[in-house]
Amino acid sequence: MNRAMTAKAVTQRGLFIRSMISVLVIVAVWEAAARAGLVSALFLPPFTKVMAEWWSVCADGSLLLDLSVSLSRAAVGLGLATAIGVPLGIAMARSRLLHWLFDPVIALAFPSPKIAFLPIFILWFGIYSLSKILLVAFACVFPVLIGSFAAATSVNRVLIWSATSMGTSNAGVLFRILLPAAWPRIFAALRVALPVSLITTFTAEMVSGGGGMGATLMYSQRFFESPTVFAYILTMLGVGLLLDFVMMKLQAASAWSQPA
Amino acid sequence: MEADRASWLSSPVGRVLPLVLIGLLWQGASSSGLVNPAFLPSPARIGVAAYDLLTGREIRDNIFITLWRAGLGLTLGSIAGIWLGLMMARSEVFRAYAAPVVGGTYSLPKSALIPLFILWFGIGTATTVCAVFLACLLPMVVNTAQGVSSTPRVLVWSAEAFGTQPRAMLWRVYLLHAMPDIFAGLRVALGFSFVLAISSEMIASTNGKLIFMYGENGAYDYMFAAIACVVVVAFLADRLLLMLTAKSLRWHESARGSS
Repeated sequence: MNRAMTAKAVTQRGLFIRSMISVLVIVAVWEAAARAGLVSALFLPPFTKVMAEWWSVCADGSLLLDLSVSLSRAAVGLGLATAIGVPLGIAMARSRLLHWLFDPVIALAFPSPKIAFLPIFILWFGIYSLSKILLVAFACVFPVLIGSFAAATSVNRVLIWSATSMGTSNAGVLFRILLPAAWPRIFAALRVALPVSLITTFTAEMVSGGGGMGATLMYSQRFFESPTVFAYILTMLGVGLLLDFVMMKLQAASAWSQPA
Repeated sequence: MEADRASWLSSPVGRVLPLVLIGLLWQGASSSGLVNPAFLPSPARIGVAAYDLLTGREIRDNIFITLWRAGLGLTLGSIAGIWLGLMMARSEVFRAYAAPVVGGTYSLPKSALIPLFILWFGIGTATTVCAVFLACLLPMVVNTAQGVSSTPRVLVWSAEAFGTQPRAMLWRVYLLHAMPDIFAGLRVALGFSFVLAISSEMIASTNGKLIFMYGENGAYDYMFAAIACVVVVAFLADRLLLMLTAKSLRWHESARGSS
Protein backbone atom coordinates (compact mmCIF):
# COMPACT_ATOMS: atom_id res chain seq x y z
CA MET A 1 0.00 0.00 0.00
CA ASN A 2 2.66 2.43 1.12
CA ARG A 3 5.00 1.46 -1.67
CA ALA A 4 2.22 1.73 -4.22
CA MET A 5 1.54 5.24 -3.00
CA THR A 6 5.14 6.36 -3.27
CA ALA A 7 5.34 4.85 -6.74
CA LYS A 8 2.29 6.87 -7.71
CA ALA A 9 3.76 10.01 -6.16
CA VAL A 10 6.93 9.53 -8.17
CA THR A 11 5.09 9.23 -11.47
CA GLN A 12 3.00 12.25 -10.48
CA ARG A 13 6.20 14.16 -9.91
CA GLY A 14 7.60 12.77 -13.15
CA LEU A 15 4.58 14.06 -15.03
CA PHE A 16 4.90 17.43 -13.31
CA ILE A 17 8.58 17.65 -14.27
CA ARG A 18 7.73 16.81 -17.89
CA SER A 19 5.07 19.52 -17.90
CA MET A 20 7.58 22.03 -16.58
CA ILE A 21 10.10 20.89 -19.17
CA SER A 22 7.70 21.49 -22.03
CA VAL A 23 6.92 25.04 -20.83
CA LEU A 24 10.63 25.75 -20.34
CA VAL A 25 11.47 24.38 -23.80
CA ILE A 26 8.88 26.65 -25.43
CA VAL A 27 10.22 29.70 -23.58
CA ALA A 28 13.81 28.75 -24.40
CA VAL A 29 13.10 28.20 -28.11
CA TRP A 30 11.21 31.50 -28.19
CA GLU A 31 14.08 33.37 -26.52
CA ALA A 32 16.74 31.71 -28.70
CA ALA A 33 14.86 32.28 -31.97
CA ALA A 34 14.33 35.94 -31.11
CA ARG A 35 17.91 36.55 -29.91
CA ALA A 36 19.48 34.75 -32.86
CA GLY A 37 17.52 36.99 -35.21
CA LEU A 38 15.68 34.07 -36.85
CA VAL A 39 12.52 36.12 -36.58
CA SER A 40 12.21 39.87 -36.53
CA ALA A 41 11.85 41.41 -33.06
CA LEU A 42 8.77 43.11 -34.42
CA PHE A 43 7.07 39.74 -34.88
CA LEU A 44 8.49 37.97 -31.86
CA PRO A 45 10.32 40.02 -29.24
CA PRO A 46 12.58 37.96 -26.91
CA PHE A 47 10.81 36.51 -23.87
CA THR A 48 13.05 38.42 -21.44
CA LYS A 49 12.17 41.68 -23.17
CA VAL A 50 8.47 40.84 -22.90
CA MET A 51 8.90 40.15 -19.17
CA ALA A 52 10.77 43.44 -18.71
CA GLU A 53 7.96 45.24 -20.51
CA TRP A 54 5.43 43.39 -18.37
CA TRP A 55 7.24 44.53 -15.24
CA SER A 56 7.32 48.12 -16.39
CA VAL A 57 3.59 48.25 -17.28
CA CYS A 58 2.92 46.67 -13.88
CA ALA A 59 5.13 49.21 -12.13
CA ASP A 60 3.54 52.28 -13.74
CA GLY A 61 0.07 50.94 -12.92
CA SER A 62 -1.28 50.98 -16.47
CA LEU A 63 -1.70 47.20 -16.63
CA LEU A 64 -3.49 47.09 -13.29
CA LEU A 65 -5.80 49.91 -14.35
CA ASP A 66 -6.68 48.15 -17.64
CA LEU A 67 -7.11 44.84 -15.85
CA SER A 68 -9.42 46.32 -13.22
CA VAL A 69 -11.52 48.04 -15.91
CA SER A 70 -11.87 44.79 -17.91
CA LEU A 71 -12.47 42.54 -14.92
CA SER A 72 -15.11 44.82 -13.44
CA ARG A 73 -16.96 44.93 -16.78
CA ALA A 74 -16.80 41.14 -17.03
CA ALA A 75 -17.87 40.70 -13.40
CA VAL A 76 -20.84 43.08 -13.61
CA GLY A 77 -21.94 41.46 -16.89
CA LEU A 78 -21.64 37.95 -15.47
CA GLY A 79 -23.46 39.08 -12.32
CA LEU A 80 -26.33 40.44 -14.39
CA ALA A 81 -26.46 37.24 -16.44
CA THR A 82 -26.61 35.19 -13.22
CA ALA A 83 -29.30 37.43 -11.71
CA ILE A 84 -31.46 36.95 -14.81
CA GLY A 85 -30.46 33.50 -15.98
CA VAL A 86 -30.71 31.47 -12.77
CA PRO A 87 -34.24 32.58 -11.72
CA LEU A 88 -35.53 32.40 -15.30
CA GLY A 89 -33.99 28.95 -15.82
CA ILE A 90 -35.61 27.62 -12.64
CA ALA A 91 -38.92 29.29 -13.52
CA MET A 92 -38.80 27.67 -16.97
CA ALA A 93 -38.33 24.28 -15.37
CA ARG A 94 -41.36 24.90 -13.14
CA SER A 95 -43.73 26.58 -15.59
CA ARG A 96 -44.80 25.07 -18.88
CA LEU A 97 -45.99 28.46 -20.20
CA LEU A 98 -42.63 30.15 -19.58
CA HIS A 99 -40.86 27.20 -21.15
CA TRP A 100 -43.07 27.43 -24.25
CA LEU A 101 -42.51 31.16 -24.48
CA PHE A 102 -38.74 31.26 -24.03
CA ASP A 103 -37.55 27.95 -25.47
CA PRO A 104 -37.70 29.00 -29.17
CA VAL A 105 -35.99 32.31 -28.39
CA ILE A 106 -33.17 30.49 -26.61
CA ALA A 107 -32.89 27.86 -29.34
CA LEU A 108 -32.41 30.64 -31.88
CA ALA A 109 -30.14 32.87 -29.78
CA PHE A 110 -27.93 30.27 -28.09
CA PRO A 111 -25.88 29.18 -31.14
CA SER A 112 -25.59 32.72 -32.53
CA PRO A 113 -22.27 34.55 -32.12
CA LYS A 114 -23.18 37.25 -29.58
CA ILE A 115 -20.29 39.48 -30.59
CA ALA A 116 -22.16 40.19 -33.84
CA PHE A 117 -24.72 42.12 -31.75
CA LEU A 118 -22.06 44.60 -30.60
CA PRO A 119 -23.06 47.27 -33.17
CA ILE A 120 -26.65 47.14 -31.89
CA PHE A 121 -25.49 47.49 -28.30
CA ILE A 122 -23.27 50.42 -29.27
CA LEU A 123 -26.19 52.03 -31.10
CA TRP A 124 -28.48 51.65 -28.09
CA PHE A 125 -26.17 52.09 -25.12
CA GLY A 126 -23.26 54.18 -26.38
CA ILE A 127 -19.62 53.25 -26.76
CA TYR A 128 -18.71 53.38 -23.07
CA SER A 129 -18.88 50.68 -20.41
CA LEU A 130 -22.65 50.18 -20.47
CA SER A 131 -22.78 48.64 -23.94
CA LYS A 132 -19.91 46.27 -23.11
CA ILE A 133 -21.39 45.20 -19.78
CA LEU A 134 -24.77 44.51 -21.37
CA LEU A 135 -23.19 42.59 -24.25
CA VAL A 136 -21.31 40.43 -21.71
CA ALA A 137 -24.58 39.84 -19.86
CA PHE A 138 -26.28 38.95 -23.16
CA ALA A 139 -23.50 36.51 -24.08
CA CYS A 140 -23.41 34.86 -20.63
CA VAL A 141 -27.12 34.67 -19.92
CA PHE A 142 -27.74 31.77 -22.34
CA PRO A 143 -25.28 29.24 -20.90
CA VAL A 144 -26.38 30.21 -17.37
CA LEU A 145 -30.05 29.96 -18.31
CA ILE A 146 -29.70 26.59 -20.05
CA GLY A 147 -27.54 25.24 -17.21
CA SER A 148 -30.00 26.37 -14.53
CA PHE A 149 -32.93 24.96 -16.48
CA ALA A 150 -31.21 21.59 -16.87
CA ALA A 151 -30.20 21.65 -13.19
CA ALA A 152 -33.72 22.42 -11.99
CA THR A 153 -35.27 19.78 -14.30
CA SER A 154 -32.88 17.14 -12.98
CA VAL A 155 -33.96 17.67 -9.36
CA ASN A 156 -35.67 14.50 -8.15
CA ARG A 157 -39.45 15.07 -8.32
CA VAL A 158 -39.98 12.89 -5.26
CA LEU A 159 -38.09 15.45 -3.18
CA ILE A 160 -40.41 18.23 -4.36
CA TRP A 161 -43.54 16.11 -3.93
CA SER A 162 -42.65 15.03 -0.39
CA ALA A 163 -41.86 18.60 0.60
CA THR A 164 -45.15 19.89 -0.84
CA SER A 165 -47.17 17.10 0.75
CA MET A 166 -45.61 17.95 4.12
CA GLY A 167 -46.88 21.50 3.70
CA THR A 168 -43.78 23.33 2.45
CA SER A 169 -44.69 26.63 0.79
CA ASN A 170 -43.67 27.47 -2.78
CA ALA A 171 -40.89 29.72 -1.51
CA GLY A 172 -39.79 26.95 0.83
CA VAL A 173 -39.60 24.48 -2.06
CA LEU A 174 -37.54 26.98 -4.03
CA PHE A 175 -35.03 27.88 -1.34
CA ARG A 176 -34.87 24.62 0.62
CA ILE A 177 -35.23 21.99 -2.11
CA LEU A 178 -34.69 23.29 -5.65
CA LEU A 179 -31.77 25.65 -5.13
CA PRO A 180 -29.68 23.37 -2.87
CA ALA A 181 -30.30 20.32 -5.06
CA ALA A 182 -29.61 22.16 -8.32
CA TRP A 183 -26.70 24.23 -7.01
CA PRO A 184 -23.76 22.02 -8.17
CA ARG A 185 -25.00 22.01 -11.76
CA ILE A 186 -25.83 25.73 -11.67
CA PHE A 187 -22.30 26.37 -10.48
CA ALA A 188 -20.94 24.25 -13.33
CA ALA A 189 -22.87 26.50 -15.73
CA LEU A 190 -21.35 29.58 -14.10
CA ARG A 191 -17.91 28.05 -14.58
CA VAL A 192 -18.68 27.73 -18.30
CA ALA A 193 -19.95 31.32 -18.45
CA LEU A 194 -16.88 32.85 -16.75
CA PRO A 195 -14.48 32.51 -19.72
CA VAL A 196 -17.32 33.65 -22.02
CA SER A 197 -17.54 36.86 -19.99
CA LEU A 198 -13.78 37.45 -20.25
CA ILE A 199 -13.64 36.71 -23.99
CA THR A 200 -16.62 38.95 -24.72
CA THR A 201 -15.19 41.81 -22.66
CA PHE A 202 -11.77 41.63 -24.29
CA THR A 203 -13.20 41.33 -27.81
CA ALA A 204 -15.69 44.18 -27.31
CA GLU A 205 -12.86 46.38 -26.04
CA MET A 206 -10.75 45.45 -29.05
CA VAL A 207 -13.51 46.36 -31.47
CA SER A 208 -14.85 49.53 -29.88
CA GLY A 209 -12.05 50.75 -27.59
CA GLY A 210 -12.95 52.62 -24.43
CA GLY A 211 -10.12 51.43 -22.18
CA GLY A 212 -9.43 48.02 -20.69
CA MET A 213 -7.13 45.17 -21.70
CA GLY A 214 -8.53 44.71 -25.21
CA ALA A 215 -8.33 48.40 -26.11
CA THR A 216 -4.70 48.74 -25.00
CA LEU A 217 -3.81 45.51 -26.78
CA MET A 218 -5.19 46.84 -30.08
CA TYR A 219 -3.57 50.23 -29.52
CA SER A 220 -0.15 48.65 -28.93
CA GLN A 221 -0.55 46.46 -32.00
CA ARG A 222 -1.35 49.47 -34.20
CA PHE A 223 1.83 51.17 -33.05
CA PHE A 224 3.85 47.94 -33.42
CA GLU A 225 4.76 47.86 -29.72
CA SER A 226 5.20 44.09 -29.83
CA PRO A 227 6.53 43.59 -26.28
CA THR A 228 3.39 45.25 -24.89
CA VAL A 229 1.19 43.07 -27.12
CA PHE A 230 2.86 39.93 -25.77
CA ALA A 231 2.83 41.19 -22.17
CA TYR A 232 -0.93 41.82 -22.37
CA ILE A 233 -1.64 38.45 -24.02
CA LEU A 234 0.38 36.66 -21.31
CA THR A 235 -1.53 38.58 -18.63
CA MET A 236 -4.87 37.53 -20.16
CA LEU A 237 -3.65 33.94 -20.22
CA GLY A 238 -2.64 34.15 -16.55
CA VAL A 239 -5.94 35.74 -15.52
CA GLY A 240 -7.90 33.07 -17.40
CA LEU A 241 -5.92 30.27 -15.75
CA LEU A 242 -6.16 31.82 -12.29
CA LEU A 243 -9.91 32.47 -12.44
CA ASP A 244 -10.63 28.98 -13.72
CA PHE A 245 -8.49 27.54 -10.93
CA VAL A 246 -10.42 29.59 -8.35
CA MET A 247 -13.75 28.46 -9.83
CA MET A 248 -12.56 24.83 -9.76
CA LYS A 249 -11.64 25.13 -6.06
CA LEU A 250 -14.95 26.85 -5.26
CA GLN A 251 -16.81 24.13 -7.14
CA ALA A 252 -15.02 21.42 -5.16
CA ALA A 253 -15.71 23.27 -1.89
CA SER A 254 -19.40 23.72 -2.63
CA ALA A 255 -19.94 20.20 -3.93
CA TRP A 256 -21.42 18.91 -0.66
CA SER A 257 -24.60 17.85 -2.40
CA GLN A 258 -22.92 16.61 -5.58
CA PRO A 259 -24.45 13.32 -6.64
CA ALA A 260 -21.73 10.70 -6.82
CA MET B 1 -57.40 17.96 -23.05
CA GLU B 2 -54.36 19.16 -21.07
CA ALA B 3 -52.15 16.69 -22.89
CA ASP B 4 -53.65 17.75 -26.24
CA ARG B 5 -52.80 21.38 -25.65
CA ALA B 6 -49.30 20.54 -24.52
CA SER B 7 -48.58 18.40 -27.57
CA TRP B 8 -49.93 21.11 -29.88
CA LEU B 9 -47.68 23.68 -28.21
CA SER B 10 -44.61 21.51 -28.67
CA SER B 11 -45.37 20.93 -32.36
CA PRO B 12 -43.22 22.86 -34.86
CA VAL B 13 -46.00 25.43 -35.39
CA GLY B 14 -46.45 25.90 -31.65
CA ARG B 15 -42.74 26.36 -31.17
CA VAL B 16 -42.50 29.10 -33.80
CA LEU B 17 -45.52 30.94 -32.36
CA PRO B 18 -43.62 32.82 -29.59
CA LEU B 19 -41.19 34.16 -32.18
CA VAL B 20 -44.10 35.30 -34.36
CA LEU B 21 -45.72 36.97 -31.32
CA ILE B 22 -42.50 38.82 -30.51
CA GLY B 23 -42.20 39.90 -34.14
CA LEU B 24 -45.78 41.24 -34.16
CA LEU B 25 -45.27 43.12 -30.87
CA TRP B 26 -42.06 44.58 -32.25
CA GLN B 27 -43.77 45.59 -35.50
CA GLY B 28 -46.65 47.11 -33.53
CA ALA B 29 -44.34 49.10 -31.26
CA SER B 30 -42.45 50.31 -34.30
CA SER B 31 -45.41 51.35 -36.47
CA SER B 32 -47.22 53.05 -33.58
CA GLY B 33 -44.11 55.14 -32.94
CA LEU B 34 -43.51 53.76 -29.42
CA VAL B 35 -39.85 53.17 -30.29
CA ASN B 36 -37.75 55.35 -32.51
CA PRO B 37 -37.28 53.47 -35.81
CA ALA B 38 -33.77 54.92 -36.01
CA PHE B 39 -32.86 52.85 -32.95
CA LEU B 40 -34.96 49.78 -33.70
CA PRO B 41 -36.12 49.37 -37.29
CA SER B 42 -39.34 47.39 -37.67
CA PRO B 43 -39.12 43.70 -38.67
CA ALA B 44 -40.75 44.55 -42.01
CA ARG B 45 -38.00 47.04 -42.87
CA ILE B 46 -35.31 44.61 -41.71
CA GLY B 47 -36.94 41.95 -43.89
CA VAL B 48 -36.86 44.23 -46.93
CA ALA B 49 -33.21 45.09 -46.18
CA ALA B 50 -32.34 41.42 -45.75
CA TYR B 51 -33.95 40.58 -49.09
CA ASP B 52 -31.98 43.38 -50.69
CA LEU B 53 -28.74 42.14 -49.08
CA LEU B 54 -29.23 38.52 -50.08
CA THR B 55 -30.08 39.33 -53.69
CA GLY B 56 -27.23 41.82 -53.95
CA ARG B 57 -23.81 40.61 -55.02
CA GLU B 58 -21.51 42.42 -52.64
CA ILE B 59 -22.99 41.04 -49.44
CA ARG B 60 -23.36 37.52 -50.74
CA ASP B 61 -19.65 37.52 -51.41
CA ASN B 62 -19.04 38.77 -47.89
CA ILE B 63 -21.13 36.02 -46.32
CA PHE B 64 -19.40 33.35 -48.41
CA ILE B 65 -15.96 34.69 -47.48
CA THR B 66 -16.84 34.58 -43.78
CA LEU B 67 -18.28 31.09 -44.06
CA TRP B 68 -15.32 29.84 -46.06
CA ARG B 69 -12.83 31.15 -43.50
CA ALA B 70 -14.83 29.77 -40.58
CA GLY B 71 -15.23 26.42 -42.36
CA LEU B 72 -11.55 26.10 -43.25
CA GLY B 73 -10.45 26.94 -39.70
CA LEU B 74 -13.03 24.55 -38.26
CA THR B 75 -11.99 21.67 -40.54
CA LEU B 76 -8.25 22.08 -39.92
CA GLY B 77 -8.79 22.64 -36.19
CA SER B 78 -10.99 19.55 -35.85
CA ILE B 79 -8.58 17.25 -37.70
CA ALA B 80 -5.59 18.48 -35.69
CA GLY B 81 -7.62 18.43 -32.49
CA ILE B 82 -8.78 14.84 -32.93
CA TRP B 83 -5.23 13.73 -33.64
CA LEU B 84 -3.79 15.59 -30.64
CA GLY B 85 -6.55 14.39 -28.35
CA LEU B 86 -6.00 10.80 -29.47
CA MET B 87 -2.26 11.10 -28.84
CA MET B 88 -2.81 12.66 -25.42
CA ALA B 89 -5.21 9.93 -24.36
CA ARG B 90 -3.03 7.08 -25.63
CA SER B 91 0.38 8.27 -24.42
CA GLU B 92 1.09 9.33 -20.84
CA VAL B 93 4.37 10.93 -21.84
CA PHE B 94 2.85 12.92 -24.69
CA ARG B 95 0.10 14.09 -22.36
CA ALA B 96 2.60 15.21 -19.76
CA TYR B 97 4.37 17.36 -22.33
CA ALA B 98 1.24 18.66 -24.05
CA ALA B 99 -1.00 19.23 -21.01
CA PRO B 100 0.43 22.59 -19.88
CA VAL B 101 0.32 23.96 -23.42
CA VAL B 102 -3.27 22.81 -23.95
CA GLY B 103 -4.31 23.99 -20.46
CA GLY B 104 -2.64 27.35 -20.97
CA THR B 105 -4.16 28.06 -24.36
CA TYR B 106 -7.53 26.69 -23.24
CA SER B 107 -8.07 29.51 -20.76
CA LEU B 108 -6.63 32.19 -23.04
CA PRO B 109 -9.32 34.21 -24.80
CA LYS B 110 -8.48 33.30 -28.39
CA SER B 111 -9.57 36.67 -29.72
CA ALA B 112 -6.63 38.16 -27.76
CA LEU B 113 -4.38 36.49 -30.33
CA ILE B 114 -5.98 38.33 -33.25
CA PRO B 115 -3.72 41.42 -32.87
CA LEU B 116 -0.74 39.07 -32.80
CA PHE B 117 -1.89 37.28 -35.96
CA ILE B 118 -2.43 40.65 -37.65
CA LEU B 119 1.16 41.46 -36.75
CA TRP B 120 2.36 38.14 -38.20
CA PHE B 121 0.11 37.56 -41.19
CA GLY B 122 -1.33 40.97 -41.93
CA ILE B 123 -5.00 41.69 -42.45
CA GLY B 124 -6.93 39.03 -44.31
CA THR B 125 -7.77 35.38 -44.61
CA ALA B 126 -4.71 33.90 -42.85
CA THR B 127 -5.36 35.86 -39.65
CA THR B 128 -9.00 34.79 -39.44
CA VAL B 129 -8.30 31.17 -40.32
CA CYS B 130 -5.54 30.95 -37.68
CA ALA B 131 -7.77 32.41 -34.98
CA VAL B 132 -10.63 30.05 -35.88
CA PHE B 133 -8.20 27.11 -36.08
CA LEU B 134 -6.87 27.68 -32.55
CA ALA B 135 -10.31 28.28 -31.09
CA CYS B 136 -11.67 25.05 -32.62
CA LEU B 137 -8.57 23.00 -31.80
CA LEU B 138 -8.94 23.06 -28.02
CA PRO B 139 -12.48 21.77 -27.49
CA MET B 140 -11.70 19.01 -30.00
CA VAL B 141 -8.51 18.01 -28.14
CA VAL B 142 -10.19 17.97 -24.75
CA ASN B 143 -13.31 16.10 -25.89
CA THR B 144 -11.43 13.54 -27.99
CA ALA B 145 -8.99 12.85 -25.15
CA GLN B 146 -11.86 12.39 -22.73
CA GLY B 147 -13.77 10.08 -25.06
CA VAL B 148 -10.76 7.96 -25.94
CA SER B 149 -9.48 7.60 -22.40
CA SER B 150 -12.90 6.53 -21.15
CA THR B 151 -12.97 3.53 -23.51
CA PRO B 152 -13.98 0.52 -21.36
CA ARG B 153 -11.21 -2.04 -20.97
CA VAL B 154 -13.67 -4.78 -21.88
CA LEU B 155 -14.02 -3.33 -25.39
CA VAL B 156 -10.25 -3.17 -25.80
CA TRP B 157 -9.78 -6.71 -24.50
CA SER B 158 -12.44 -8.21 -26.72
CA ALA B 159 -11.08 -6.43 -29.79
CA GLU B 160 -7.61 -7.73 -28.94
CA ALA B 161 -8.97 -11.20 -28.38
CA PHE B 162 -10.47 -11.08 -31.88
CA GLY B 163 -7.02 -10.25 -33.19
CA THR B 164 -7.49 -6.57 -34.07
CA GLN B 165 -4.21 -4.97 -35.10
CA PRO B 166 -2.95 -2.01 -32.98
CA ARG B 167 -3.44 0.37 -35.92
CA ALA B 168 -7.00 -0.81 -36.48
CA MET B 169 -7.66 -0.48 -32.74
CA LEU B 170 -7.39 3.31 -33.05
CA TRP B 171 -10.03 3.52 -35.76
CA ARG B 172 -12.30 0.71 -34.80
CA VAL B 173 -12.25 0.90 -31.02
CA TYR B 174 -10.88 4.10 -29.52
CA LEU B 175 -12.06 6.69 -32.04
CA LEU B 176 -15.38 4.94 -32.55
CA HIS B 177 -15.98 4.90 -28.81
CA ALA B 178 -15.10 8.61 -28.63
CA MET B 179 -17.54 9.57 -31.41
CA PRO B 180 -20.26 11.04 -29.13
CA ASP B 181 -17.65 13.16 -27.33
CA ILE B 182 -16.09 14.21 -30.63
CA PHE B 183 -19.47 15.37 -31.93
CA ALA B 184 -20.09 17.25 -28.67
CA GLY B 185 -16.72 18.96 -29.12
CA LEU B 186 -17.55 19.71 -32.74
CA ARG B 187 -20.71 21.53 -31.67
CA VAL B 188 -18.70 23.74 -29.30
CA ALA B 189 -16.07 24.29 -31.98
CA LEU B 190 -18.74 25.25 -34.52
CA GLY B 191 -19.97 27.99 -32.18
CA PHE B 192 -16.41 29.21 -31.61
CA SER B 193 -15.69 29.26 -35.34
CA PHE B 194 -18.50 31.78 -35.92
CA VAL B 195 -17.50 33.92 -32.94
CA LEU B 196 -13.85 34.06 -33.96
CA ALA B 197 -14.52 34.57 -37.66
CA ILE B 198 -16.82 37.50 -36.94
CA SER B 199 -14.65 39.01 -34.18
CA SER B 200 -11.58 38.95 -36.32
CA GLU B 201 -13.40 40.48 -39.26
CA MET B 202 -14.76 43.19 -36.98
CA ILE B 203 -11.30 43.91 -35.57
CA ALA B 204 -9.50 43.92 -38.87
CA SER B 205 -10.42 42.88 -42.33
CA THR B 206 -10.79 44.30 -45.77
CA ASN B 207 -13.85 42.26 -46.58
CA GLY B 208 -16.30 40.14 -44.69
CA LYS B 209 -16.99 42.90 -42.18
CA LEU B 210 -20.58 43.02 -43.26
CA ILE B 211 -22.08 44.40 -40.08
CA PHE B 212 -20.02 47.43 -39.21
CA MET B 213 -19.98 48.67 -42.77
CA TYR B 214 -23.68 49.51 -42.59
CA GLY B 215 -23.58 50.64 -38.95
CA GLU B 216 -20.99 53.27 -39.77
CA ASN B 217 -23.05 54.56 -42.68
CA GLY B 218 -26.11 54.88 -40.46
CA ALA B 219 -28.03 52.35 -42.58
CA TYR B 220 -29.33 50.66 -39.45
CA ASP B 221 -31.96 48.51 -41.12
CA TYR B 222 -29.17 46.96 -43.19
CA MET B 223 -27.04 46.50 -40.07
CA PHE B 224 -29.91 44.71 -38.30
CA ALA B 225 -30.54 42.62 -41.43
CA ALA B 226 -26.88 41.56 -41.57
CA ILE B 227 -26.95 40.54 -37.91
CA ALA B 228 -30.19 38.65 -38.48
CA CYS B 229 -28.52 36.77 -41.36
CA VAL B 230 -25.64 35.82 -39.04
CA VAL B 231 -28.08 34.55 -36.39
CA VAL B 232 -30.00 32.48 -38.94
CA VAL B 233 -26.86 31.01 -40.52
CA ALA B 234 -25.43 30.08 -37.10
CA PHE B 235 -28.75 28.52 -36.08
CA LEU B 236 -29.01 26.48 -39.29
CA ALA B 237 -25.41 25.29 -39.02
CA ASP B 238 -26.02 24.20 -35.43
CA ARG B 239 -29.21 22.32 -36.41
CA LEU B 240 -27.47 20.70 -39.37
CA LEU B 241 -24.69 19.44 -37.11
CA LEU B 242 -27.24 18.08 -34.62
CA MET B 243 -29.00 16.21 -37.43
CA LEU B 244 -25.69 14.85 -38.68
CA THR B 245 -24.80 13.76 -35.14
CA ALA B 246 -28.10 11.95 -34.70
CA LYS B 247 -27.68 10.25 -38.08
CA SER B 248 -24.10 9.08 -37.55
CA LEU B 249 -24.64 8.01 -33.95
CA ARG B 250 -27.75 5.96 -34.68
CA TRP B 251 -25.92 2.84 -33.54
CA HIS B 252 -25.02 4.41 -30.22
CA GLU B 253 -26.87 3.92 -26.92
CA SER B 254 -27.38 7.66 -26.51
CA ALA B 255 -29.51 7.71 -29.66
CA ARG B 256 -32.03 5.37 -28.12
CA GLY B 257 -34.74 6.85 -25.92
CA SER B 258 -33.95 10.49 -26.64
CA SER B 259 -35.29 11.84 -29.87
